Amino acid sequence: MATPRRVLLLLLALAAAALAGAEEGPRGRRLLVLLDDLAVRSSHSAFFGSLQARGFDLDFRLADDPKLSLHRYGQYLYDGLVLFAPSTPRFGGSVDQNAVLEFIDAGHDVILAADSSASDLIRGIATECGVDFDEDPEAMVIDHINYAVTDVDGDHTLIAGDDLIQSDVILGSKKIEAPVLFRGIGHTANPSNSLVLKVLSASPSAYSANPKTKLASPPSLTGSAISLVSVMQARNNARVLISGSLDLFSNLFSNRFLKSGVQKAGSKKRHERAGNEQFVTETSKWVFHERGHLKAINVKHHKVGETNEPGMYRINDDLEYSVEIYEWSGTSWKPYVADDVQLQFFMMSPYVLKTMSTDKKGLYSTSFKVPDVYGVFQFKVEYQRLGYTGLSFTKQIPVRPYRHNEYERFITSAYPYYTASFSTMGAFFIFSFVYLYHK
Amino acid sequence: MAGRRPAPAALLVLLLAAAFAPISSAVRPVSDAHRSAAAELFAPSADGSFGDLERTYEAVRTFQILGLKYKSVTGEACKFAAEKLASPASSATKDLFHAARISGVLGCSVDAGVYDGVVARLKAVIKDTNSLLEFYYSVGGLLSIKEQGHNIVLSDAESTFHAIKALSQSDGRWRYDTNSAESSTFAAGIALEALAGVVALADAEVDPSMVGVVKNDIVKLFDTIKSYDDGTFYFDEKHVDATEYKGPIMTSASVVRGVTSFATVAPGKLNIPSEKVLGLGKFFLGIGLPGSAKDCFNQIESLSFLENNRVFTPLILSLPSKVFSLTSKDQLKVEVTTVFGSAAPPLKVNLVQVLGSDSKVITSENKELQFDLDNNVHYLDIAPLKIDVGKYSLVFEISLKEPEHESVYATGGRNTENVFITGLIKVDKAEIGISDNDAGTVESVQKLDLLKDTKVSLSANHLQKLRLSFQLTTPLGHTFKPHQVFLKLKHESNVEHLFVVPGSARQFKIVLDFLGLVEKFYYLSGRYDLELAVGDAAMENSFLRPLGHLELDLPEAPEKAPRPPAQAVDPFSKFGPKAEISHIFRSPEKRPPKELSLAFTGLTLLPFIGFLIGLVCLGVNLKNFPSLPGPAAFASLFHAGIGAVLLLYVLFWLKLDLFTTLKYLGFLGIFLVFVGHRTLSYLSSVSTKQKTA
Repeated sequence: MATPRRVLLLLLALAAAALAGAEEGPRGRRLLVLLDDLAVRSSHSAFFGSLQARGFDLDFRLADDPKLSLHRYGQYLYDGLVLFAPSTPRFGGSVDQNAVLEFIDAGHDVILAADSSASDLIRGIATECGVDFDEDPEAMVIDHINYAVTDVDGDHTLIAGDDLIQSDVILGSKKIEAPVLFRGIGHTANPSNSLVLKVLSASPSAYSANPKTKLASPPSLTGSAISLVSVMQARNNARVLISGSLDLFSNLFSNRFLKSGVQKAGSKKRHERAGNEQFVTETSKWVFHERGHLKAINVKHHKVGETNEPGMYRINDDLEYSVEIYEWSGTSWKPYVADDVQLQFFMMSPYVLKTMSTDKKGLYSTSFKVPDVYGVFQFKVEYQRLGYTGLSFTKQIPVRPYRHNEYERFITSAYPYYTASFSTMGAFFIFSFVYLYHK
Repeated sequence: MAGRRPAPAALLVLLLAAAFAPISSAVRPVSDAHRSAAAELFAPSADGSFGDLERTYEAVRTFQILGLKYKSVTGEACKFAAEKLASPASSATKDLFHAARISGVLGCSVDAGVYDGVVARLKAVIKDTNSLLEFYYSVGGLLSIKEQGHNIVLSDAESTFHAIKALSQSDGRWRYDTNSAESSTFAAGIALEALAGVVALADAEVDPSMVGVVKNDIVKLFDTIKSYDDGTFYFDEKHVDATEYKGPIMTSASVVRGVTSFATVAPGKLNIPSEKVLGLGKFFLGIGLPGSAKDCFNQIESLSFLENNRVFTPLILSLPSKVFSLTSKDQLKVEVTTVFGSAAPPLKVNLVQVLGSDSKVITSENKELQFDLDNNVHYLDIAPLKIDVGKYSLVFEISLKEPEHESVYATGGRNTENVFITGLIKVDKAEIGISDNDAGTVESVQKLDLLKDTKVSLSANHLQKLRLSFQLTTPLGHTFKPHQVFLKLKHESNVEHLFVVPGSARQFKIVLDFLGLVEKFYYLSGRYDLELAVGDAAMENSFLRPLGHLELDLPEAPEKAPRPPAQAVDPFSKFGPKAEISHIFRSPEKRPPKELSLAFTGLTLLPFIGFLIGLVCLGVNLKNFPSLPGPAAFASLFHAGIGAVLLLYVLFWLKLDLFTTLKYLGFLGIFLVFVGHRTLSYLSSVSTKQKTA
């Protein structure tokens, strides 16, 4: 009696598990955390805790662990990498700079934090990602105007950053009110790299120099050209976050226990706590593809009034095109709502470029007339938006000209010719009688 | 492997220094921040439990020390502990140890009978084992039960003491059991705590010579202590890659627990230097707010042992604020407290030396700080010290008022603290102007008020110079040299040039000779915006001020001149929708209007109508049509055939295509040739007959 019920329960549980697991996210949940000191694990536990609470499986390793490996038997062991080992001169095991770059090339995500002890290895990885740290190893970002007021810190290297990128998808929809505390080294985005975005920029009064020595020559990085935190989304949608401050992620900076709260110099407003916790949580959500990842499914096209997809269109046909776009919300795929998804009808160059209309439930559609040029065309959607993964998909379709019997048949302006020939024929018919039988 | 990591311990020390020196590089006593941190870290789960026994003990013990409320979890935790204690035979000694200590902390009511069973089991373990951890758990468990009012006497204390002592090493460290070769500092702490327990449980006094040996071990152990430059001491394992490596916090905590417990039970005083005890206190406070529950427990418990011990009670000198403003006449405030922030015994604090940022002695006048009894703060006005703005190291000396306190409290004597003195810097005599290159005569000098935004507009060519000068004076009237004095020229095309304004003894003055700078300016003529940034850590009125603009007329760039650097492309430009494109269709050919076509259709019909009228006028007849039935039939068929061909042409126009038309035309053609031949030959034979007739 009990056994069948138990079996039923088991089946139900299995079904529930299958349903729960049905929505598969765009990225896996295995993260490798490389530290140069295990103390970072406790000093940054709030950040790690928030990752673990979101379902990530963190593997903490010392950066010089001799058994370190990113892949085995051609399979990557991790889906993301958190590099909190700024001072490590070289990684242990089979991991080196190239291995990390290949990891990114394979479409994996990386969070890299440096500080004033940043090694050449870490700087090298950052450079390959389009971010150049200040070359002076003693330099720190100093800002004598926009610093955070604390009782114990007087050299103005604790920056209260509030020049954040305007992007809901990277920083979350809730505005970060409190300044983000930063202490570390500055960097610039390489001008030739268009994939890097400055997420947290320094203020115009900031500069990057050694606070302990007098300045003889102008510092190489000044003003809002300094980026404190940058992100890079590669063409394969791998995301990399680069921060010049490891402390940015620490419990202390995101902590609510700072006795006096956070106050930016010159501003009256005192914030209960720094914006760091929100900043690192939201940006890490973005980096690990919990937000801003789009997928397109059900690409369809057909002639107006039909439902089947033809293998070929004729010039001047009217057609309808539709595609469904969804965004990963961290737990499920939600319809993506925007009004700027565009379709191109493309042969060497776009012949038609049209913004698609949406039903706000993820379906984008448009209709247009096939151009009167025949050849092999493509339906092409190239969707690049700030913070979102790029969507790029094409579908090839040939377009043929009119067949001989598809042209217009009875043209009014040709009627004089028709009547002329037919009246001649009629006259010939009558004339044949007259000619043969007249007497 | 060791070769690849030449100095792991040294590296770790360095890293630890980095990890433990975030915002609060200052050592401050335990405060409410720690309480809220502890409450957060030890938050019980939904069902009111903390996890396993060890964690539960750490939670309730931390709460007890910090004076936090834990009554709401008492019932759950007591039940949890009682469950373990009820079945001593099946539980591990470790669980019994933690359970007994939970009951002790929370004051759970446990039956004497239950404890009898636990005591019997623990005593049995002590007899049999040779493992340090088993000793530690058993002795600790017994001690905890004894402290709860249960009468326990360890009859063979002497032999247990010897058994534990047998594990000690010559350098003061201990092994975990007789079989293990590795010795560890962490184990030393555990062993000392166990020994202290044995002494406390012993029925008779333990052999004083043995206690003396252990005291000696402790002194040796303190020889292995490690330190930072700032007087912080901590314990760590010799080999960090050992299997049982715990990290400096746990290791130091273990030693502090062991040494202070042992000092409590052992007669006489331990011979430990006071600055090392003080250094340990600084180490635990220097952690600041711990990140994990384990660290929090170790930090708080160690500090509580340091607060009350028979060796030395560390007194911590700390500054509530390290930034003092001359403008608001801040007082130099110094707190001397125990690690938990309670008041120190009567003492004097003297400021003995003030060092500049380059370790130059500014003043070495001995000043005694006044004591504010209400707030428990020693204070001193800064103004009489005649210290200017800047970064200083202050050296304080603490001296206890009562000599007998010297052996109880560790003050560390001299303490050095780094402070910043800030003030408003007076900016005046600011002038900007353009002068000619050769004569040096200043043509147009404008006075600037750098306290407000100014908008000067200047123009110059490459033969002229731009001069900018101003003075910065500290509140005490000295020339102030800030860290950041930048003049920025920004061209319309976003090319920036930054100059450090050099300061002399009297003023800051920069002269930009454009003749020498044309190459650097990439021969870019046009409008340059001027911006002056002056800032320093000690300057309260740091500013970044736009000065106005400069129209610069530079010569044409020669061919080989360097190109201005590429400006970063706006990364946002690739986002956003593109302009729509719609295909322009070929326009249809022009056609005449319908009416015109129809009119011409009518016109083309006119000849046909004329032809018909002509025939009627001629009086056409068909008298020649064959009268004989045979030829008449063939003639009819012939004309019907012609008609059919013409009809086929109409059909071709209307619907048929060329191929069907040709097919039908073929059949009709053959038919027409046949009937046509018959008809025409008949007609010709008739006409020949008529002619011959």
